[in-house]
Amino acid sequence: MLTPFKKIWELVCRIWSSANRPAKHLSIGFLTIGGFVAGVMFWGGFNTALEYTNTEEFCVSCHEMGDNVFVELKPTIHYSNRSGVRATCPDCHVPHNWTDKISRKMQASKEVWGKLFGTINTREKFQAERRRLAGHEWDRLKANNSLECRNCHSTESMDITVQSTRAAEAHQAFLFTGEKTCIDCHKGIAHELPDMTGVEGWE
Amino acid sequence: MKLSRRDYIKANAVAVAAGVAGMTAPSTASNLLTESSKTALTWSKAPCRFCGTGCSVMVGTKEGKVVATHGDVKAEVNRGLNCVKGYFLSKIMYGKDRLKTPLLRMKDGKYHKEGEFTPVSWDVAFDTMADKFKSAIKAKGPTSVGMFGSGQWTVWEGYAASKLMKAGFASNNIDPNARHCMASAVGGFMRTFGIDEPMGCYDDIEATDAFVLWGSNMAEMHPILWTRVADRRLSAPNTKVAVLSTYEHRCFDLADIPMVFTPQTDLAILNFIANYIIQNDKVNQDFVSKHVNFRRGNDDIGYGLRPEHELQKKAKNVDKAGGSSEMSFEEFKAFVADYTVEKVSKLSGVPENRLIELAELYADPNRKVVSFWTMGFNQHTRGVWCNNLIYNIHLLVGKISTPGNSPFSLTGQPSACGTAREVGTFSHRLPADMVVKNPKHRAIAEKIWKIPAGVIPPKPGFHAVLQNRMLKDGKLNAYWVMCNNNMQAAPNFNEEGYPGYRNPENFIVVSDPYPTVTAEAADLILPTAMWVEKEGAYGNAERRTQFWHQLVDAPGEARSDLWQLMEFSKRFTTDEVWPADVLKENPEYKGKTLFEVLYQNGNVDKFPLEQTHKDYANQESNDFGFYVQKGLFEEYATFGRGHAHDLAPFETYHKERGLRWPVVDGKETKWRFKEGSDPYAKPGSDYDFYGKPDGRAVIFALPYEPAAESPDEEYDLWLSTGRVLEHWHSGSMTQRVPELYKAFPDAVVFMHPDDANQRGLRRGQEVKVVSRRGEIVTRVETRGRNKPPKGLVFVPWFDASQLINKVTLDATDPLSKQTDFKKCAIKVVATGRA
Amino acid sequence: MKRFLVHITTAVGLLALASTTALSDGAATLRQGEPIASEAEAPKMNKVENNDVKRVRNYPEQPPTIPHQTRDYEISLNANKCLSCHARTRTGESQAPMVSVTHYMDRDNQVLATVSPRRYFCNQCHVTQVTAPPLVENEFIDVEHIIKGE
Repeated sequence: MLTPFKKIWELVCRIWSSANRPAKHLSIGFLTIGGFVAGVMFWGGFNTALEYTNTEEFCVSCHEMGDNVFVELKPTIHYSNRSGVRATCPDCHVPHNWTDKISRKMQASKEVWGKLFGTINTREKFQAERRRLAGHEWDRLKANNSLECRNCHSTESMDITVQSTRAAEAHQAFLFTGEKTCIDCHKGIAHELPDMTGVEGWE
Repeated sequence: MKLSRRDYIKANAVAVAAGVAGMTAPSTASNLLTESSKTALTWSKAPCRFCGTGCSVMVGTKEGKVVATHGDVKAEVNRGLNCVKGYFLSKIMYGKDRLKTPLLRMKDGKYHKEGEFTPVSWDVAFDTMADKFKSAIKAKGPTSVGMFGSGQWTVWEGYAASKLMKAGFASNNIDPNARHCMASAVGGFMRTFGIDEPMGCYDDIEATDAFVLWGSNMAEMHPILWTRVADRRLSAPNTKVAVLSTYEHRCFDLADIPMVFTPQTDLAILNFIANYIIQNDKVNQDFVSKHVNFRRGNDDIGYGLRPEHELQKKAKNVDKAGGSSEMSFEEFKAFVADYTVEKVSKLSGVPENRLIELAELYADPNRKVVSFWTMGFNQHTRGVWCNNLIYNIHLLVGKISTPGNSPFSLTGQPSACGTAREVGTFSHRLPADMVVKNPKHRAIAEKIWKIPAGVIPPKPGFHAVLQNRMLKDGKLNAYWVMCNNNMQAAPNFNEEGYPGYRNPENFIVVSDPYPTVTAEAADLILPTAMWVEKEGAYGNAERRTQFWHQLVDAPGEARSDLWQLMEFSKRFTTDEVWPADVLKENPEYKGKTLFEVLYQNGNVDKFPLEQTHKDYANQESNDFGFYVQKGLFEEYATFGRGHAHDLAPFETYHKERGLRWPVVDGKETKWRFKEGSDPYAKPGSDYDFYGKPDGRAVIFALPYEPAAESPDEEYDLWLSTGRVLEHWHSGSMTQRVPELYKAFPDAVVFMHPDDANQRGLRRGQEVKVVSRRGEIVTRVETRGRNKPPKGLVFVPWFDASQLINKVTLDATDPLSKQTDFKKCAIKVVATGRA
Repeated sequence: MKRFLVHITTAVGLLALASTTALSDGAATLRQGEPIASEAEAPKMNKVENNDVKRVRNYPEQPPTIPHQTRDYEISLNANKCLSCHARTRTGESQAPMVSVTHYMDRDNQVLATVSPRRYFCNQCHVTQVTAPPLVENEFIDVEHIIKGE
């Protein structure tokens, strides 16, 4: 009687030997096209999977996101507003540029690790890590000149005459001059803040 | 500052005149008025009109008007701070619709229940009213007249009212709105300690290491105490703040341990903490063995509903709800052993780690802890139990009566303690914690009041909720509501309150400065002086008695509650109201007016008019010809002096920023029951709970029992009601201050966004909040200061246009008779309008 | 529109009150004529005034009302959004009014290095204002009018 382990080994050997043999019945054209199609399918699958991870549905499927940051987002202007145009998680948190996106995704492997090991699986743990986690996002946005903000909020399209007085003044003094970037003033705009001790502008 | 047009013309005219006369006009510091006779304001102290915190405010007057107010820097309570309501006190008396003349419902020139409100003189008002009171007493006896008073009455108003009802009309049917507010706290104190009111004081806040809030949104309801809590928490970072509530509110902003629990499960959490303390060997054995007894309280006590209600018929201990039997520590230990962290976490919805963190605040011998509670505990069908159970915890670890260790029941109203409780304006009480049932207590009161034995009836009168039921049933027929807005405040408007007031058999009188919802339901409205339009005294939550002078005159013919009570008493003779047999035995009282026997008794009229302060008006004293307030206060103070309720001499309070009783040898008492700080604690006792005959406080074994009404398939949400920061109670004062109105104009139903979504509702949509008893129309709010969990909604009750008490249930604590305004089952449905 | 209508009704009601007889149903002025046993439509939720125009105070000690919206402004153990503009050191950049010197004093009126924690929760005294007109007029008189004999 064969053990299951031996059975699997035999199966692997069989597949490998047939895959290793030159094609007897298939044309070179078929192989080329087939390979291309397979490649496209693989790439498409990869991208589809990748894109799925860029949906809000995916983000909030983990309770760490669903019960903390997503709940906090809901009452804010970025979720609930006059025109109903709203930001989803990836709008702000996933770079749109491909290479940046991939590099962000590589970083996300750490988040998978965190999920598996329950780094922030309670509210208390999440609060304890909040400053560090928010800091990553602030740093990223500071470094790319608040690119994900600007994907929607273009300075060119801002009509300061319909802004409140103090917003219009601040934008003219600091944003249009390039002295500050969005995230400098708009921390905590979509989620509750971490302990702000020592953060510039909050001293 | 700009010159008005008239100033401009005046200044020009002077200049022109001066020019013509060929001289220069004297310079007047340009556009700033500087002449001291004009710019000087008269500043006087007064306690704030609103909550039980008891802040002192400085009131600035000019030419008979209040023109400014600010926090009193000399006051220990608030040290110069006020909350937003307090800062706008200046404007509460100046609503355009102030009542200035009595209004009687009339048709064809005479009183008619369905008539229109018509201005009448005080004489017509009182004559009509006296006629109704007399005919009710004649037809059905003294239990057919009643009064609903207030924890916002001044001390002497409450005292004069209590005398008028109990000693005058020989009826115990007087109850204050404090019944809705503090009755469970009173029940808790009397049951555990045998004496009412907190042992600690606000100084505990600066002395403690941990705060636990049990059903108290101090950030909105006691904002100045919250400034002290925030000060302590933020300036001493090792301090911890734990907040328990059935929904998230502003206090959670400061919470280290936030906890949202399923309604009613606070009972289980309290027992879990006791269990945790015992299981982890953290009981203060020395304290417990010397100062504590254990008792098992009766369970299954019903829900204070009408006797024919199913829940009442089902409960086995309705008639002996307050009963208890002795037990040992070991038996108590076994009783609470059932309340494990796993079980209680599951029941309450609070994560286990937070329950343990909470329990540790109490258990840790190196941490001082203050527990604060208000309506979350008191407005509870097991409110007295909640109070008993929190004392259990503090007693088990001996964290009580010392600075920073304090189970602290906060009061809602400015004089819930000073007037309702200390004066004893409840249907079962007499001054200084005495009760009408006790013949000795009645004898003491009758002696001090100089009335014959047998006038005060032994049977407790109708309590607040029962008064509305009796009005509806036609058993209470002449009824006077003073200094409250009970049609808006009382539960179950549709089934009890409104039909009661509009019952054709009844005559309802409402005294108020403004035409409130209650006034609209009345038959006679009496225009009333308020706050600094009269001389007054309030007693706050830390036993602090504070006085103020009359600073301005009331508008029109408005008169204080005190004047109304005393003036009305002139219209009755003892023959009309006292038991015939009592008069037969005491013929010297025959034919006397109630004014004579109650207020011209040698005590109340003892102090001549000359003793009133020369700088301040005193309408009542001038009218009656003696220093009314002083006479009433000094007679009242006789009850407590020498009995652990000592008050200082009258004049002292006009000088001090309040003093905390007992005031013995001129010294106030900060921590009661502790030898060294309380002069009444016996030497060598260390702690002396002298309210109990053996000096021992009681730890009670009491179980978790479910709420009277819980959500079901149709009425699928919990409703909790309460207040908001900007409005005081029913909003009759604060809704008339434009800034406060514009800060929070209309009530809304706060609900979880998912609950709204699930019902196809959105923020701002018009909805009906519906229960089995009634409905209101309001709008959905899914964000803002209150964040309810899924399954619960919160509606504030300040809004006269959205009477949420049409929806609430009149289930009460069977012990305290206080309504549970925090729990009933409702549904929220769209109205279909935009 | 509805609010306007009920204002008219109230005004009429008040006039009636001032003459000989008053309404019985609808006497409770805050309900704007709706009898207490019935239910009016709920007024629309109001917008918060957001024009940054300072309002005249009723007296100097009155805490100024907030002339801008404060939606999602966090004041918690973690952060105080108000102070990120109104704290002394932030006013240069923000050009917002500095919190007054009283806010730097502790219970004993000693000035601290920073805003006193007893003043931490700004919203206990300072409130925003919605655009709705008041339900009842208030006849409080500004002291300047009194001393000028107006």
